[in-house]
Amino acid sequence: MEKFFALIGFFEILLVLFMQWEVYTKKIITTFSIASYTIAVFLFYLGIMENKYLVVILAVLTAGVRGFFIPWFMKKRIVRDPWREREIKPTISTALSILISLSVVIFAYVLYRITFYDSVHLSDGSIPIALILQGVFLMISRRNAFIQLIGYMMMENAIFLFEGYLFPALPFIVEAGVILDLIGIIAIAGIVVKMMKNSTTDSNEFDELKG
Amino acid sequence: MLLIFLSILQLFYVLLLSPLIFGIFSKFEERIESKKGPSIFQPYYDLFKLFRKQVVVPEVSSPFFHVVPYVEFALYSLLTLVLPIITAFPLEFGPTVDFIGGGLIFGAAALLKKIASLDSRSNYSHLGVSRAASMGALAEPITVLIFIMLGVISKTNNPYIINNVLQTSSSWYLSLTHWFVAAAFFMILLVETGKLPIEHHSTAELGMIDQAMDLEYSGMDLAFYKWGGYIKKFLLMSVFVNVYTVPFFVPMKYNLSSIAIYTGIHFLKLLGLVISMGLLEESISKFRLFKNFDYMAISFSLAFLSFLAFYTTNGGF
Repeated sequence: MEKFFALIGFFEILLVLFMQWEVYTKKIITTFSIASYTIAVFLFYLGIMENKYLVVILAVLTAGVRGFFIPWFMKKRIVRDPWREREIKPTISTALSILISLSVVIFAYVLYRITFYDSVHLSDGSIPIALILQGVFLMISRRNAFIQLIGYMMMENAIFLFEGYLFPALPFIVEAGVILDLIGIIAIAGIVVKMMKNSTTDSNEFDELKG
Repeated sequence: MLLIFLSILQLFYVLLLSPLIFGIFSKFEERIESKKGPSIFQPYYDLFKLFRKQVVVPEVSSPFFHVVPYVEFALYSLLTLVLPIITAFPLEFGPTVDFIGGGLIFGAAALLKKIASLDSRSNYSHLGVSRAASMGALAEPITVLIFIMLGVISKTNNPYIINNVLQTSSSWYLSLTHWFVAAAFFMILLVETGKLPIEHHSTAELGMIDQAMDLEYSGMDLAFYKWGGYIKKFLLMSVFVNVYTVPFFVPMKYNLSSIAIYTGIHFLKLLGLVISMGLLEESISKFRLFKNFDYMAISFSLAFLSFLAFYTTNGGF
């Protein structure tokens, strides 16, 4: 189980590095979808191996909501605003942001070893912490609202991975996960509404500004 | 005596078959594009034609320019004698250098090529040298990082021992550490062999890197330059399949029939690699020149993640 966890964890780290490399929003959303499905596979495997049906339900929910629904919803919104499909001017250059993201992974490992390791005793427990920090960095290194949202949801995925692995019996996670997803959807809706207001091409709507 | 015989056999195997692999590569790519394509023996025809042509050297260049293709060819031939290609036990010259030493010989050949290109005083060659040097300056540390990680796996830098360890230990072969290293090396392999997404072999100077460096060569000089290039790529591809990804079936003990059979298997392995590289080349487009550095950053990340995977899954500090 530990090896499978390490495999999934490093795959997730690679996916976030790929997101950092990519500038097209659609591809980043697809990558997020793959990341969510991977976590769902891990949770499903965990549920079957440990014989815990709640974790299996959690896996199905993860695949359905975060693997399918949220990426589908975001892509649908993007089609209406094609000009938003790409990060035009990243705050930090791509190569540098990839290296910073890598440094964050190393920092998380060192931090974990000198703090939590003594009480948790999991050699690969630093992976979810690295993913959380990578998600934060993805948020602050990009200006595109959708990519920032993806960064937030990667953090949430990391928490899911950690909790699913450490405390697979907690039913609270199921509820908390769904609620967090709902918050995500509401956040998307809020951003989309704002975008629609800002991106209108009809100048008649700005009559009052003409004086 | 037998080791010398096997060394000579390996040398001839590489010298004679290296152009064929690239003929097959071109043919395969053209077939994917629904074209007829050149014959798989086209590189041989090209070399044969060049050997008969007159050598023209730029008036302003020094004799060094004329000598470099032969030195380069000799250096790559020397490397043929020290790398595990058809055997997994060291041949006569095997103990001469390890992976770092091999890397230094590769580096020396690349440096000579760059100096010779500068010596040609051609603007295009200078353009190519500048780009190749920028890429090389980033690719070399990554390669050294990869070698260090292989050293961690096998406790040595000897390519033969690395092959034996990966061939016999399934836990190392399946480890994340090994596969991160293999993925990083594959990315570097694409850089060193001048394949997409790094370089596209067209006449557009915007994307030229390596191919701009030999523009002033002609005749027999160019033939040796090109042949040396084929050998270099053949060696890198052989190291990738024999040491990094498919270290299996390489004979670990002296047995002439198993070596003869493995020679065929090795060629099949290379064909597999050619097919995968061809499919990749046909499905991606070229990066803009400055995007290449993002690519190198990802390659570095993979090599570094192998360190982390080692500490996370195998040990700790």
